[in-house]
Order: sequence, then C-alpha cells, then structure tokens
Amino acid sequence: MSIQHPLTTPLIKENPLALRVLGVCPALAITNSLTSALIMSAALTVVLIISNTIVSLVRTLLPSSVRLIVQITVIASAVTVIDQFLKAFLPDAAARLSVYVALIVTNCMVLGRAEGCAMKEDVRTSILDAIGNGLGFSLILIVVAFQRELVGKGSLMGYQIFEPISQGGWFPENALVTLAPSAFFIIGVLVWAIRSWKAEQREEPDFKPIPLPRKEKR
Amino acid sequence: MTKDSPIRALLTVLVTAVVCSFFVSGSVVLLRPIQLNNKLLERSGNVLALTGQLPAGGEIGDEALLDLFKSLDARVVDIDEAELGSEFDPYTFDGRKAAADPELSVAVPSAEDIASLGRRSSYKTIYLVWKDGQLDRIVLPIRGAGMWSMLYGYISLESDLNTIAGVMFYEHNETPGLGDQIAKPHWQAKWIGKKLYEDTDDVLFHVAEGPVAAGASGAEYQVDALTGATITANAVTALVQYWFGPHGYGPLLQRLRDQPPQKPAEAAGQES
Repeated sequence: MSIQHPLTTPLIKENPLALRVLGVCPALAITNSLTSALIMSAALTVVLIISNTIVSLVRTLLPSSVRLIVQITVIASAVTVIDQFLKAFLPDAAARLSVYVALIVTNCMVLGRAEGCAMKEDVRTSILDAIGNGLGFSLILIVVAFQRELVGKGSLMGYQIFEPISQGGWFPENALVTLAPSAFFIIGVLVWAIRSWKAEQREEPDFKPIPLPRKEKR
Repeated sequence: MTKDSPIRALLTVLVTAVVCSFFVSGSVVLLRPIQLNNKLLERSGNVLALTGQLPAGGEIGDEALLDLFKSLDARVVDIDEAELGSEFDPYTFDGRKAAADPELSVAVPSAEDIASLGRRSSYKTIYLVWKDGQLDRIVLPIRGAGMWSMLYGYISLESDLNTIAGVMFYEHNETPGLGDQIAKPHWQAKWIGKKLYEDTDDVLFHVAEGPVAAGASGAEYQVDALTGATITANAVTALVQYWFGPHGYGPLLQRLRDQPPQKPAEAAGQES
C-alpha cells in the first residue's frame, strides 16, 4: 500500500471528490440523470487528460510567475473544444448539460491536477494521474446519479424501470431527490462511508470544544 | 535570458494565447455547419410533431425529416399588421434576434405584458399545413417568462383557429420534477381538443387549479393543474392568454377567420 500508483490511488484512497471535496458544483448540478453524469464524466476526464498532458510537456519551459495563467488558458481551450464537439455530435446531451460543460474550466480539480501533478511529473505519470482522477470523479458522479435518477424518477438513462404514479404506475417519485441539495446528502453519506472504511482519511478537528468550566463549590 | 525574466514570461503567454486561440477558433469554425444542422433538425422535429405529419412510430431519418420540414408552408408573418407574409425568408429569419432589435420589435405595454416579455418581435415564423386546398393546421411559436427562465414552445391550431391540436415546450428551465412537467408528453396530450375562445376575442383557455373533470362547465377551456408548480402553471396561462390576445396573434387569427386563406399555387405544385 505504500507505493502510490497514479492510476488507482485516486479511485478511493485519494478520491478528488470524496477526500479533497473538489468539483462539487457539477456533482450537484447534473447528477439527476445518469446519462448526463456519464457524459459529464467523460468530458471531464478528456479535459483532464488534455490539460495534464500539455502542462506536463511544457512544464520545464514555464516561468513560475505565469504558470497559472498558462495552465488556465490550456484548460479553458480544451473545455471550449470539447463543448463544441458535444454540441456538434451529441446535441441533446449538450443541451441538457447546458452551461455545465463550459463550467469545467472552473472545476478546481482540473487546475489542481495540473498544478499538483503535471507540473512535477513526466508525461506518462501525468496521463495516468489524469485518467485515475477522472475515473475517481466519475465513480462518485455515477453512484450519485444512479440513486438520484432511480429514486427521483424511477428511470435509468431515460428508460423507465419503475412506473411512476403520475403515469398510472405504483412508484412514488421523490421530487426532493431530483433537486440539487439531495446530491449533498448522498455525497455526504458516501464521504462518511469511505472515511469509516479508510481511517487515515479522517481529518483532525479544526478546533477542540472548550471544556465547560466546572462549577466550584463554595 | 533566465527562466523567470519578464520577457520570457511575456513570450510564454503570447505563444500560449496564439496556439490556444488557433485550436479554439478552428474547432468552432469546423463544427459550426454540423451544429447549425442539428438546430434545424431539432426545430423540424418540434414543428412536425405538431402538424400531425410524422409517422406513427416516430422513427424517421434525418434526411426525410428535413424534406418533410421543407415541404411545410413556412411564413414570416407580421403580427402588428395582421399580414400573412413579409419580406423575410422563414429559413434564415431569427425571431429571437428580432425580439431584441428595435427596428423589428415593439415594446409590450405593461398592462398587456402578462407574460413578462418586455419586447416582442413584430415578425414570427409560423407554419401552415394545407389539406385539399384549405388550411388544415397552423403552428405558432409562443414564449413567456417561466419560474426560472423564458419558456419557448409551439402551439398548433385546427382549421377553426380555435381548437388546440397540440402544444410543446422545447426550451425551459423549470424545476425538475415539478414545473418541468410542461415538457412531458402526458401533460401536453391533455391540451389536445381544448379551445381558446368561446364567442368573443377573450382567451378563456387557462391551466386549472386542480384536475379538470370531463363534464364540468368550462372544461373545454382548461387543462389540469401542475402539482407543486403554481408559478409555472400561471406562466403558461399568461403566455397563452398574451399570445392569443389582442396584442399577440389575435388580430391575425381574426383576419384568417374572416377571409379564409387560399393555398398558394406554388405550394400546390411542390406537393404533387
């Protein structure tokens, strides 16, 4: 367990979403349908691979004073290109994800991997790290979206699994689960479950409660 | 020149900007035709679904869909003048741009502005369906402010220009599970056969406050409420009442009722 493999470590042990709590915005916004979550996962993984590869290739040439500007420019360009491809070849999915594809730029996870891994490691490690982190992010997104779509709409990837009451079936759709806050609850439960399993992920409390002063007997 | 010198930093940024803009603009330019075709396909599907001309199974190739769409009699109408035509080409006219263009749009008086439009285009792209030389259906675009954003859709009317033949909303941002029912087929199906007007110009049609009983008085002017989405339901009522009222399509529809339009000879030739 001491060797950190760039591909497998980010899956559970150092999951970008569950441990580092990065990229929560898309995880809240688009996980009410499994299809959206899968496309978002794929788009983010591709962006990660492109940005990690390019940043790792030019890492020795970059003056440190402008490295963040260059990283963000590379990420923003990759996201724009991916967004254009989605709009051309998967127009329905792009319409459903709307602005959230463009918002991958602001996903701290992409910049975090460019700065935290690609600026230090060779290209091969950086690509493996990008794939690993992409899969780790996708794993959480898919688990959350699976539950939200099934409980919220009784369907999976648009296919009706349970017939909802509103269409004459028996399944009570849970509207709360289709709203963004429910993703917070599910991610919270996932984080709790992972940290119960992997004790080393638990954080030290930021501060300890001050013990109440004892009542002194006079 | 050291690695951290300002000149080197400037050069790095310049090279990055040029290379990245090359890739970004390249992808935008190369993919634009495919994206425009997607938009046209989407609009074709939306409009054709309301003309009743799609095959029953709904399976139709993209080419056949476009052919069918181009066979429709599309017109850019002038709703201020109640004219069934204008100088604009229906395939290139952009109603959304026109709504923001002071030359092509009018401000909606605040007393009339129940659908919170602000301005609306004077010109609208509508679609006519002919049958045996007579008007069979008319498909009209509608929009109005919903709970979170503008709702965009189409309504089609039967030849009496009063009975609703179908409705659809193709763009909205209503609350998932509540207001987004406006885009669900089972709710849209309830609109079919409902009526807009009785004897006067007043639009009686509205979304009810509960389920509509079949035999109840006024049932033919109502559709079922949207559970938990009162604001969306009121928005839908408002936009229908605006667009079919005196400031919307009302005058045009009145004129079409008074002087039934004839099928243009050119369109007749195309169809045969």
